[in-house]
Amino acid sequence: MLALIAAVQPLLIGAVLLWSAAVKLFSRQATAAARRSALVPLVGERRAAPAYRLVGTVELAVAALLLLPPAPPLEAGAAAVLSAGFLGYLAYARRAAPASSCGCLSTRRTPVTNRGLGRAGLLLVAGIAAGWAGEHWLAAVRQRPLAAAAVLLVEAAAVVVLSPELDARWLLPLRRLRARITRPLAGGGGGVPLFATVQQLQQSPAFRQVAALISSDVREHWDDEEWRIVCHGARYRGRVATAVFAVPRLRYDPGAVRVAIVDEATGVTVANFAGARSAPA
Amino acid sequence: MSATMDRRRLLSTAVLGGAGIVGATALGSLAPEAAFAADPVPVEPGAPDPNFAEGRISKISGSMLLVTGSDAVLHSIRVTDGTSIWKLTPTTFDRIAIGDGMYARGLRLPDGTLAADSIWVNIVSLHAHVAAVGRNVLHLDHNGRRIVGHVVPGTTAAVYNGTPAVSDVSLLRVGRHVQVIGAWHPDTNEIDVATVYAAA
Repeated sequence: MLALIAAVQPLLIGAVLLWSAAVKLFSRQATAAARRSALVPLVGERRAAPAYRLVGTVELAVAALLLLPPAPPLEAGAAAVLSAGFLGYLAYARRAAPASSCGCLSTRRTPVTNRGLGRAGLLLVAGIAAGWAGEHWLAAVRQRPLAAAAVLLVEAAAVVVLSPELDARWLLPLRRLRARITRPLAGGGGGVPLFATVQQLQQSPAFRQVAALISSDVREHWDDEEWRIVCHGARYRGRVATAVFAVPRLRYDPGAVRVAIVDEATGVTVANFAGARSAPA
Repeated sequence: MSATMDRRRLLSTAVLGGAGIVGATALGSLAPEAAFAADPVPVEPGAPDPNFAEGRISKISGSMLLVTGSDAVLHSIRVTDGTSIWKLTPTTFDRIAIGDGMYARGLRLPDGTLAADSIWVNIVSLHAHVAAVGRNVLHLDHNGRRIVGHVVPGTTAAVYNGTPAVSDVSLLRVGRHVQVIGAWHPDTNEIDVATVYAAA
């Protein structure tokens, strides 16, 4: 069994490297991905894109060596060295340029996380294991196809789980499905939020009338039957006052909003304005 | 408490009481010159706005807040009865704690203190993706960092496609982009969500 596991490792590493090389060499956004990666602090802005493509070329070459016969242990050594290089690069990126993108298996912005490090570590272990392969992977697969498929499936699943680039394909749909079944956010519908009232207030003619007097954000608010009372600080003729608004609580009718400017020191209403449509005739 | 009720009754009556309601024309003095005459705000182009301060609250004494700005500048901020204080919702001075972050806007007095008109405590605005949802919790991915957004029933508002705010947040979808206005829990990656803007 151990011989079989060792023998199929080149197939796994080769497939991952092919995927990675394809992104770096053939993607239209490869240059942009290189500029977002930690290659910029490492080799400079100007050389980041050529370096990115060079890495892709090396990946393609190693993948071809691994996938095509024969299978000398030297190839596994090359794969292990490359994986160790990735691991070192990602550890450097995490320390030196934490805001940079991984640029590994996708041109989408993907921060360097523990999962990315774990994937590079997995490839390193696979590369070392491949050193013990006694035969080419194709021969091993032909001999025991089911066992080889099982090993590769488990390893491929591990690569997918450790790839944040693929989350949108499987993890987010799973979470969406869970949310659809359990509906964890359905319990929040309680009344009219204050922000809805403030939005209506700010669209009202009454607010436009006195907007220049208002000096503060909402100071306090309370409900009075069908109205929600909202108080702002105000300055009126050099005096500190309170702008008291009455906003319809359960309907959207900015025209009905009323305002009074009250001098709280004396309790005197110095000005008020009823909504155009609700003013008494 | 009864003083609060009396005050509220007075203010409610002032705005809702039928008698004494005058038309808009009675507010003839609301011309821009009259409104702005009292408090000129001289701000030089390129200079920091003198009537604004931000930072973490390092000391509270009486009605004064001592605030250390993110640029290490110290601000003294005076809070009055007329100051609006926001901490997830409009709240009162006693809810402010040492260690809170804040933004304040007001008038700079000659002695250098800022007489605050409005204070927003721990307010944050961030663009993020919804990575996962739980019971009244949004797990947000903000530039690769995980932020836990607590939905506060009765307070959290959701704005879908720019329509008026509602309290129903169940239309938020995993994987979608959102903008969140919230109140940060100091020194954690958690916030209480005040308003979430999303496409639905």
